[in-house]
Amino acid sequence: MTGSYGWAGQILWVDLTAGKITKVPTAEYEPEKFIGGLGLNTRIFWSLGCPKVAAFDPANPFIASAGPLTGIVGPFQRGIISSISPQSYPDELFSYSSFGGKWPAQLKYAGYDGVVVIGKASKPVYLSIEDADVQIEDATDLWGLDTWATGDELLGKDTKAESLCVGPAAENLSRVAPVMTRTGNTAGQGGFGAVMGAKNLKAIRVRGTGGVQIAKPDKLMGLIRLIAKEKVDGSGEPALDLRKPLAGNPARGELVKKYRTRFSGCYGCPYQCMATYKVPGLGTGAASCAQWNYGAFDSEDPDSVWEANVLMQKLGLENYSFEAILSFLYLCKKEGVLTEADFKELGIPLCKFLGGQASGHEFLAALLRPMAEGRSVFSNGLPRAMEHFNKEAHNIYRSLYTARGYSIHHHETVGGALHWALDTRDTSPSAADEMMFMISPDIAQYFGVVGGAATLNQPDNTDYDGNERNVAFSVKHQMLRNSLTWCEWHSKPTSFFKPPDMDIRVLESQFFSTVTGVEKDVDELWRAGEAIWNLRRAVMVKRENRTRNEDTIDDIHFEQQTNIATTLPLDFKFGFGIRRGGPLDRARFERLKDGYYKLVGWDVNTGWLTRTKLEELGMKDVADGLARAGKLP
Amino acid sequence: MDIPKSGAVIWKGQLCTACGTCELMCSLYHDGVASPARSRLQITYHPFKDIVDCHVCQQCDSPTCYSTCPLANDALCIDELSGARYINEEACTGCESCIDACTFDPPNVRLNDEKSVAFKCDLCRDRAGGPICVEYCAYGALQFVAKDQR
Repeated sequence: MTGSYGWAGQILWVDLTAGKITKVPTAEYEPEKFIGGLGLNTRIFWSLGCPKVAAFDPANPFIASAGPLTGIVGPFQRGIISSISPQSYPDELFSYSSFGGKWPAQLKYAGYDGVVVIGKASKPVYLSIEDADVQIEDATDLWGLDTWATGDELLGKDTKAESLCVGPAAENLSRVAPVMTRTGNTAGQGGFGAVMGAKNLKAIRVRGTGGVQIAKPDKLMGLIRLIAKEKVDGSGEPALDLRKPLAGNPARGELVKKYRTRFSGCYGCPYQCMATYKVPGLGTGAASCAQWNYGAFDSEDPDSVWEANVLMQKLGLENYSFEAILSFLYLCKKEGVLTEADFKELGIPLCKFLGGQASGHEFLAALLRPMAEGRSVFSNGLPRAMEHFNKEAHNIYRSLYTARGYSIHHHETVGGALHWALDTRDTSPSAADEMMFMISPDIAQYFGVVGGAATLNQPDNTDYDGNERNVAFSVKHQMLRNSLTWCEWHSKPTSFFKPPDMDIRVLESQFFSTVTGVEKDVDELWRAGEAIWNLRRAVMVKRENRTRNEDTIDDIHFEQQTNIATTLPLDFKFGFGIRRGGPLDRARFERLKDGYYKLVGWDVNTGWLTRTKLEELGMKDVADGLARAGKLP
Repeated sequence: MDIPKSGAVIWKGQLCTACGTCELMCSLYHDGVASPARSRLQITYHPFKDIVDCHVCQQCDSPTCYSTCPLANDALCIDELSGARYINEEACTGCESCIDACTFDPPNVRLNDEKSVAFKCDLCRDRAGGPICVEYCAYGALQFVAKDQR
C-alpha cells in the first residue's frame, strides 16, 4: 500500500563522502508498523545497527522525516530529525527533535517520506531537492552566512520552497546549534545543527510540485471539517496561544502591540500558533514560544527582546538552552558566585538584570556572537561549560537541569519526572498529556489514568501509585504524534474531547486510516505507538547500555525543591514559567518505576525489554538482535 | 453574445496568514489530493519581508481567456447560474491559449501537466456551500462577492 496513499513511498539516501544519492522504498522500513517520522527514523537507525560512533563522526546518520499525515490540512506539519545528539550530556545519545513550518510538507510534495544523510562532504555543500531532481551542490559561498541570509540565497523569490539550514554556530560545531527553516521554525534541542555542520552540510533545500494522495478524499473532507470548522478544540485557536501578551512579560506585550503584523505558522495548519513581527531596524520574522525567554530577564526593553530572538535565529543558536545560561548568569551574580571581575574576564558586560548599566544590545552581542564563533565557554551549552567554573557555580547549574544535559522543562507531575527519566531528551512537549491529567481529573478518569492532586510532584503527594498509567499513556502518545506526524500542542487528551464518540485517540485513528487506506482502530494504532517506543528502548539498550539505573533524573531533584516548570529563577515575576516543586521521594519513585516496567512488559530488575513483549508486538527480529548483543534478560 | 457577470473570490491581504489551508482544500476538493501545485489559487509569502500575495481568478467582466479559447463554450465555459468562467476538462485540449491570454501575472489559468488540460478557479460551481477556500479560511482573508455586488 505504501506509496499509494499518505506515504510518499521513497526515502532519499545521501552519502556525502561518496557523493552518491539513492532512493530507497519506504516499504523497506515497515511504515505500516512504524508509521513515519520518529518511528521511521528509529527503524532506519536500528537497521544501520545502531552505530556506536560519536555525534560528529561521518558515520552518524542525520535523518529527517515527515509522516503519512504531513502535507494535508491540519496540525500535521511536523518534521522529525533523529541522530546521535551532540547536546546530550555526558554521553551522546541517539535522540530526536521536531520542527514545523513548510519543509516537511514540501518534502512530501517532492515525493519523499524522509532524507538520510551519512558521510561527510570534502567541502561545504547543500542538498537540493526539486521533485525527482536531487543534487549535491557547492555551498562554499553560503558557508559563514547567517541562517536568514542562507534562506534568502537558497530560496530567492520562490516562496513555496523551503530550506533546512544551519548558521555559523553549527559550522563551528556548537553543541547547542539547532536546525532552522526560513520561517523561524527550529529543530531546537539536541544540537542537530552541529551534526549538519560536521558533515559540511549547510542546508537541505526542497521544492515539491506533487501532492499527498488520499485513500478516501470525501471522508477526509469530513474529518478536516471537524478540526477546522467545528472547532472541537475549544475556540479553534491554538491550544497554547503564544501570539498574545503574557502576564509578567511587559516587553512582549509591547512587541505584540507595536510590531505584530499577522499570525503565522505551519503550512496547511489552520491554527497558526506563531506570529510575524516587523521591528524597524531589527528585522521581520516569526516567534512562538521560547523566542520570548529573554523578555523575562530584560522585560523593559521590547527591542532587545526581539534582537535576542533575531540574533539567536541568525547565528543559529538555541533559545531554550540560552534561557538556562541567562538564569545561570543571573543567579551567579545575585549569589556572589561570579564577581564583576569574573564577568569582565568572560567578556560579558553587566546589563540591567545583572546589576549593571550595559544595554541589552551590548550584552547580547557580547554573549551570543562568541558563542556562535566557538570562542565562548558557553559555546557548547551550560553543562560542558562547567569545567570553567567553581563548585558553587556548579551547584547553581545543577539546579537548572533535569537530565542528560537538558534544562528544566515541565516536570510538574511525578509522571512527568518518570517520563523524563525514561527518555533521551527533554520530554516537555509530550508531558503536556501529564499536565492535562493534572489539570483535568475528569478527563484523566475517562482515559483510565490518575488525575489531579495524585499526579503532583509535590512533597504532600505521598502516593505515586497509578501514575505509571499516565506515563504509559503519554509516552505511547508521544511516539505516535511524532510519527503520524501530529503537532503536540493540538493532540492533548483534552483536544477534540467529545465522548463517547470522539476523543483524540479516535480522531488520530480516523485520520490515519482515511489518509493511508490502512485501517487501524485505536488499539491497533496505539500498538504501533508501543512498538515505536519499544524500538527506541531497544536502541537505548543496545547502543547506550541503558538499564534501570539510568532511568532517572539528576540527583538534585531528589534533594531539594526547584523550579519544576522552566529554568527561570524562582524570584522572577514571570509567573507562567515558575512553579516550585519537588523534591521527589526516591523510594516512591523507584516503586513507580517497578509499576511502569510491569505495566509495559519490561524486565523489572534490569529495565531491559523482554522477548515476550517484543514478539507480542511483532518484533521478533529486534528480540533476536538484543539477544545476540547479550541484552535480553 | 453578452457575457454575464460573475461573482469572485476576493482576498484581504492584511488578514491572511499564508497558512495555505485554502490551497490544500482547493486541491482536495477538485482533485482528491493535497497539493498546493494543484490549487486554483496560489498564496505566496516572503517571511523576512512580510509580503503575502494571493493569485486567484478574478472572473473578469471581459474574460480574455474565454474570448481567446478556440473551443469557447465547450472548453472554456460560462456557468449560467453563477457566471463563473470555468474549464470543461472533457473538451479542453491543453492548447494554453487561455493561459497566454490571461491578463494577470502570473496567469490565473494554469496547465495540469499530467492531464494536459488547463485549470482555473470555477468558484466551486457544483458545490452547495460555494467556494471551499472561502469556507475554510479561518481568518476571514478570503471572501466571496456575488455577481450583483461587484
